[in-house]
Amino acid sequence: MFVASTWWNDDDRLVAMLGEALREADAVPRELVDTGKAAYAWRGIHAELAALVYDSEHEPAATRTDTATLRAFTFASPRLTIELEVANGCLLGQVVPPGAARVELQTRDGEVASVTADELGCFTVGALPSGPFRLRCRIGASVDVLTSWITL
Amino acid sequence: MRNDPTVVALVIAARKGDRDAWNRIVERYAPLIWAICRRFQLSRSDVDDVAQTVWLTLVEHLATIREPAALAGWLATTTRNECLKVLRSENRRQYGEQLDDEPAAQDDLAELEHELERAQRQIALREAFAQLGPRCQELLSMLFRDGGPSYREIGARLGMKPGSIGPSRMRCLDELRRCPALAALIEAEQRTGNGSDVRGQHMVER
Repeated sequence: MFVASTWWNDDDRLVAMLGEALREADAVPRELVDTGKAAYAWRGIHAELAALVYDSEHEPAATRTDTATLRAFTFASPRLTIELEVANGCLLGQVVPPGAARVELQTRDGEVASVTADELGCFTVGALPSGPFRLRCRIGASVDVLTSWITL
Repeated sequence: MRNDPTVVALVIAARKGDRDAWNRIVERYAPLIWAICRRFQLSRSDVDDVAQTVWLTLVEHLATIREPAALAGWLATTTRNECLKVLRSENRRQYGEQLDDEPAAQDDLAELEHELERAQRQIALREAFAQLGPRCQELLSMLFRDGGPSYREIGARLGMKPGSIGPSRMRCLDELRRCPALAALIEAEQRTGNGSDVRGQHMVER
């Protein structure tokens, strides 16, 4: 009976593919694997998710407001809206409805910067994150909201 | 492979807090993410961001994965979407709003499926290789080296008679094929003709 040659029953092809498989795994940059492993630190945060509903960068130029260089975001969850702006090298935010929220800025490698929003819900984060980050806002024991990841 | 028992076990363990299981998931699938990013010709820093987002999204979805066996398909789709996002935002920065829509002529679903199939085979091959005994690993490593040494050199290096290398190679490859990870893939590809059941399955409950 004629058996078609497949990659697994042809010894030479199998050896070649095995070599390729091992070499390609070796060629993957180490950081890509390391950041993947570090991402596990964020497992098991059971907060309500706030989706990105507005990003000034995704608006056509014609409809942008006059402060065209300003980056602005809005995240929305059923219980909380979070407005975010970049101005003067700071991250300015406001949670709506306003309240004294504890706001955490989380970066991809597991670092956290914490600030507190005032009674109007306004908060400032002094240093702009260089990579992807997200915010977690908690008010009292009942409101716990986590934004999706964004990059400035 | 939809019925890959390893990945199901890994996802379930990672869900329960087993960090080693998570690390193995990352090691297994990093080459797939890397390969897809390279197809889109992203810069290194963009690749890092895409990979980061993909891993973080996976961490968030670990608990709600409905079909862990389709993890590779989910990772491929998520990586592709993130790559497209990067390209879109780069186009916008460069050309303003004119090119707001689909930038990606490179985006080709058939290529993505091909990449996925390749990755599945490579994962199975690496897994099977890792399960071989040290003698077989040594011998095969010498064989697939580029411009590989002659049987005489291999024999000298491994303390084998040159005449026994051919039969040993055959025996090691048979052992490789019998390793569960590879055997399951071969069986799946035999059943479907070309392993077409591995593709693009979504596993996340939306």
